[in-house]
Amino acid sequence: MKYIPFLLKNVFRKKTRSVLTIISILIPLILICLLNSFLQVLDQPDPSETRGMFRLVTRHKVGITNPIPASYADKISRLDGVMAITNFAWFGGTYIDESSENFFARFAVEPKSLLNVFDDASMVKGSTEDWINDASGCIVGEDLVEKFGWKIGDKIVIVGTIYPVTLQLTVRGVYKVATGASDALFFNRKYLEEALPSFKGRAGTIWTKAGDAESATRLATQIDKLFENSAYPTKTESEKAFQMGFVSMLGNVKLLITTIGVIIVLVVILISANTIAISARERIREIAVLRTMGFTRIMILSFILGESLVMSAIGGILGVVIFVLTFDPLKSFLATTPMGGLAKGLAFYPETILLAIIVSMVVGIFSAIIPAIGSSRRSIREGLRYIG
Amino acid sequence: MSEALIKLVNVVKKYDTNSEEITVLDGLNLGMFEGEFVAIMGPSGSGKTTILNLIAGIDGTTDGQIFVGPDEISAMTEGELARWRSQHVGFIFQFYNLIPALTAFENVELPLLLSPLSKSERREHVETALEIVGLTDRSSFYPRQLSGGQEQRVGVARAIVTDPTILLADEPTGDLDAKSAGEILFLLENLNKTFKKTIVMVTHDQNAAARASRIIHLDKGLLRADVPMNNNQAISN
Repeated sequence: MKYIPFLLKNVFRKKTRSVLTIISILIPLILICLLNSFLQVLDQPDPSETRGMFRLVTRHKVGITNPIPASYADKISRLDGVMAITNFAWFGGTYIDESSENFFARFAVEPKSLLNVFDDASMVKGSTEDWINDASGCIVGEDLVEKFGWKIGDKIVIVGTIYPVTLQLTVRGVYKVATGASDALFFNRKYLEEALPSFKGRAGTIWTKAGDAESATRLATQIDKLFENSAYPTKTESEKAFQMGFVSMLGNVKLLITTIGVIIVLVVILISANTIAISARERIREIAVLRTMGFTRIMILSFILGESLVMSAIGGILGVVIFVLTFDPLKSFLATTPMGGLAKGLAFYPETILLAIIVSMVVGIFSAIIPAIGSSRRSIREGLRYIG
Repeated sequence: MSEALIKLVNVVKKYDTNSEEITVLDGLNLGMFEGEFVAIMGPSGSGKTTILNLIAGIDGTTDGQIFVGPDEISAMTEGELARWRSQHVGFIFQFYNLIPALTAFENVELPLLLSPLSKSERREHVETALEIVGLTDRSSFYPRQLSGGQEQRVGVARAIVTDPTILLADEPTGDLDAKSAGEILFLLENLNKTFKKTIVMVTHDQNAAARASRIIHLDKGLLRADVPMNNNQAISN
């Protein structure tokens, strides 16, 4: 304890250099906290599994852009273990313009069965009955209402890009998903079938709710076997696997994020090590004087390591504090970007704070270890003769 | 004849450079008594600073033995030497070598951090040391705020704060003007005469050496002359 004032005095002996070093640690720490938060989102357990709802997604085996017959739902519903079933067709189109600001998911669905499968969602305004009773009605997620200020009865115009149809929809309900994003628009598929007869009988995906984990696992194989020799063979997977499929289109995102994080840490170590090495070189004679007084090699090594750990701890703590304070605005900003899908799942994880602390300690130790050993090894005589 | 406090017995010191082996001390025998103020003089390369470093245990002998009191310095391990130095040696450097990030008080306190003294006890020792060197009113000043003479006085205070057995001074006035040098030498004389400190001082300065009670002349690692200034007994080769 009695050495702490000495340690702290040395940490801030060159204030500008120390402050810049601390900043060079805290900024990357904020980035690492953010990257780790994204990794946590990707690592979250299958939402279906955690809530006891085991949802499966069936699509064309070749790819999601290939349609499958909507009638597949009837055949699937007869399989043992199926609790509810519905189908989706991606509409896409343009709302106002094609900017990312105005982009959100738009699906043609069967209103009656949608909320049977997605029973983790509930209507917070309007009703499913109002929607069912209005062929041009739609329901929108609460996040979209917050963003665009829609109300029940508002008109929403979506200009088709895949389908040559312009939709004139009326908001009949607002839904909210208990945990997760509420950011899509669903309209009655009958509207599209009437506007575009060629769409009739087609679906992009069929969503099945299984009763338990065993059924979910079995059904995935059963469904695909049912259609493997048909003109539209299928691939059935869990909801999470299906969502991860989109992420994997970007490549191995987790590996990419982890690699970026490791590179950041290495760069910070190098920058910090350079600063510590410069400081150690400036203090060669000073260290020799300390050893003349009776300070041992181990003590010298401990002082230098200790100074480095103090600086990196300050950088780490400040980095975490800034990350915590800016988390919500940062999340809101990222939600408006093409990373919005991932950003919406961002939450505050204790693992992120722990990681930040560990990283700052690693930086503190590894950046100082070589200069510390070098300083402690130099002979007293050599150190006293050093001019520098 | 009383036993010498510091004894060098057949001390040999050689350094290996890349191209050759240099013999700095070649079988030196020397004794210094408690309470003496010894000045060591000689041309560059004669081994003056080497003797100081060997007595302090900063450097090791190639051959021979060194004793300070009952302790055989030349047989100690590095760890033992560090502990021994913290208790028995006060070192005064030519270029002061104060820690710039610490105040005068904190610089003087540094050696006491190695002792088991409490904070208040350390404070008492530091204040006493600063009073002896006449710098009580400068205790909160940083080295950059002190003159050269004042810095060296802090260096002296730091050297005496642990009440060491011996004070070793390597050209303590080498970087000072005449006035400041005089003040430092007066201080050292006072420490020797009033506080009975055993002082070994390396110097090129005849005036500085004249303050000592004994002058030892070295040349090429050998003792050339040993001149008592106050009729004290001396041991020569």
